[in-house]
Amino acid sequence: MVSKKVVVTNKTGLHARPASNLVAFCKNYNSKIFLSNGEKKVSAASIIHVLTLGVKTGTELEVIAEGEDEAKAVEEVVKFIEALED
Amino acid sequence: MMKTYTVAKAASKGIVMGKAFVAVQEDLTADSRSIKDSEREMEWLKFQKAVKDAVEDLRVLAKDSDIFAAHLDVAEDTVLHDSVELKINSENKNAQLALEETVAEIVTMFESLDDEYLRERAADIKDVGKRIMCGLKGIKSNPFEGINEDVIVVAEDLAPSDTANMDFRYIKGFITEAGGVTSHVSIMARSMEIPAFVGVADFRKNVTNEDYIILDAVGKEIIVNPDEETKEVYRKKAAEYKAMKAEFESMNNLPATTTDGRTVELFANVGSIVDVENAVTRGAEGIGLFRSEFLYMENTKFPTEQEQYDAYKKAIETMKHPVIIRTLDIGGDKELSYYKFDEEENPFLGWRAIRISLDLKDVFKTQLRAILRASAYGDIRIMYPMIISVDEFMAANAILQECKEELRRDNIPFNDSIQTGVMIETPAAVLCAEDLAKVVDFFSIGTNDLTQYLLAVDRGNQKIARLYNSFHPAVLRAIRTVIQAGHKYDKLVGMCGEFASDEKAVPILLGMGLNEFSMAASEIASTRYQIRHLNYEHCQALADEICKKSTIAEVREMLEK
Repeated sequence: MVSKKVVVTNKTGLHARPASNLVAFCKNYNSKIFLSNGEKKVSAASIIHVLTLGVKTGTELEVIAEGEDEAKAVEEVVKFIEALED
Repeated sequence: MMKTYTVAKAASKGIVMGKAFVAVQEDLTADSRSIKDSEREMEWLKFQKAVKDAVEDLRVLAKDSDIFAAHLDVAEDTVLHDSVELKINSENKNAQLALEETVAEIVTMFESLDDEYLRERAADIKDVGKRIMCGLKGIKSNPFEGINEDVIVVAEDLAPSDTANMDFRYIKGFITEAGGVTSHVSIMARSMEIPAFVGVADFRKNVTNEDYIILDAVGKEIIVNPDEETKEVYRKKAAEYKAMKAEFESMNNLPATTTDGRTVELFANVGSIVDVENAVTRGAEGIGLFRSEFLYMENTKFPTEQEQYDAYKKAIETMKHPVIIRTLDIGGDKELSYYKFDEEENPFLGWRAIRISLDLKDVFKTQLRAILRASAYGDIRIMYPMIISVDEFMAANAILQECKEELRRDNIPFNDSIQTGVMIETPAAVLCAEDLAKVVDFFSIGTNDLTQYLLAVDRGNQKIARLYNSFHPAVLRAIRTVIQAGHKYDKLVGMCGEFASDEKAVPILLGMGLNEFSMAASEIASTRYQIRHLNYEHCQALADEICKKSTIAEVREMLEK
């Protein structure tokens, strides 16, 4: 298991498009990917779960991956979140 | 065999023909049956198939819609699938029930979140659930999909979500069992110029999809399975009707002036920005009723100041002439998906229109600020609905004043002398018309509600529909009282109900001195044609005589002459 923290900085947080794009992006990996806001840990493969985290701009998230490409997955998902716009 | 049905009233005029398309009202409640262990696999496969179909449809729709893109994500979501699978495999629930429960659970989860945006997403989940449920039940989620020949839709009733799904290249007309001339389907049919009959009781039992229908909403007949000869006759009639309409339209760029020189204004009633564009092309000289509700009803939350400002600004820039915006008129039969209204014994006598605005001050201020900001771009006027007293008008204007001061402080431009008027639709407003006339800038008579309240007749109730009649002497005299009161204080009086475009009513209203007639844009050309052939002096005499009549029958008799 590998994990890394990242702060969400895009304006709307993980809402609508950004959340949808993130879920699609996470499907590129064989590892299971999770997001945690400290209170709740959810699967990043589910838009419903990601939305219910209620991630707003400024929220610190932990990206957690388990599987063969876990290191690469965490690194790239964190980068993806950092690069989110709108 | 050919059969003819006579209908009392057309909701939207025209003559069309096509195959019958009987819309089926679907029951989407889940089957509650438990399943045997041996059926689990089958149920799971059914669910997967339904999801696959939903996803395929959504993928097409998602290409040009963010809403459907979000629906697609939900339909493909693992949480949804896992929960349904669990319910099938460990609780022996059938696929429908598993789906229904799962959707309800996810919706509850979203609705409990402390985030407005996410709470709204609950509606998306419900919609996706509905789509998959349709697949499980083997029914099309859009019953009007795939129609590729001319049809006349026959339905119990048609909701906005139904009409939004229609392809009007093929759907030529409507016949509904429910609804009156003021219901959604009527208003929509008129603005789209789709011939329609509404309130035709039990009509569905007369036709199947194998039948052919001529819908003559000019002569007020429905002909089922006409022979070739009859079809030919109606093809000719349709062509003649078109020619007549063309003649009306030929003088539509001229003012609505009577033969003896009295000019009135012809405005349009609108319920969307598209309607405003349509009003301009159909010769409207202004917007007499901008139903701001659509901004609220076609939304998942109270619309923001910016959203409203954009719409009002677009309206005035498109119209370039007066736009009278009616402030939020909900309650009664109009609800909002995102705001809970208490159950009321008498919704039409309940918490609605200006009463809501004065109570929900923040919501009201958001709207007033948006209107004021847009007023910097042209002659926008404000109209308050359901007013029963001078107090209410003053209270509303006091809030408007607050908004003006806020905008002034922030150096945001607006029209400081923006006109404010009231809709006259309650008996109280009629009786206090002189008092109101002293303080308002204008009146607009809303005959639909005014008739309902004066006669104590629910306008949606089929059983008493025959009592709902704006030619009742009480209604006619009320209209005259209001016009006289307005004129006494030099205030212009308009009308924005269906009555203003009623061919029989126009001469009376003209004679009473009505200044502005506001109607569905599709009625403007024929009303203009009519007014240009009327004599004001004759109409005045007619109005005087009519107001002396004591029964509807006498009024009608006088009008026939």
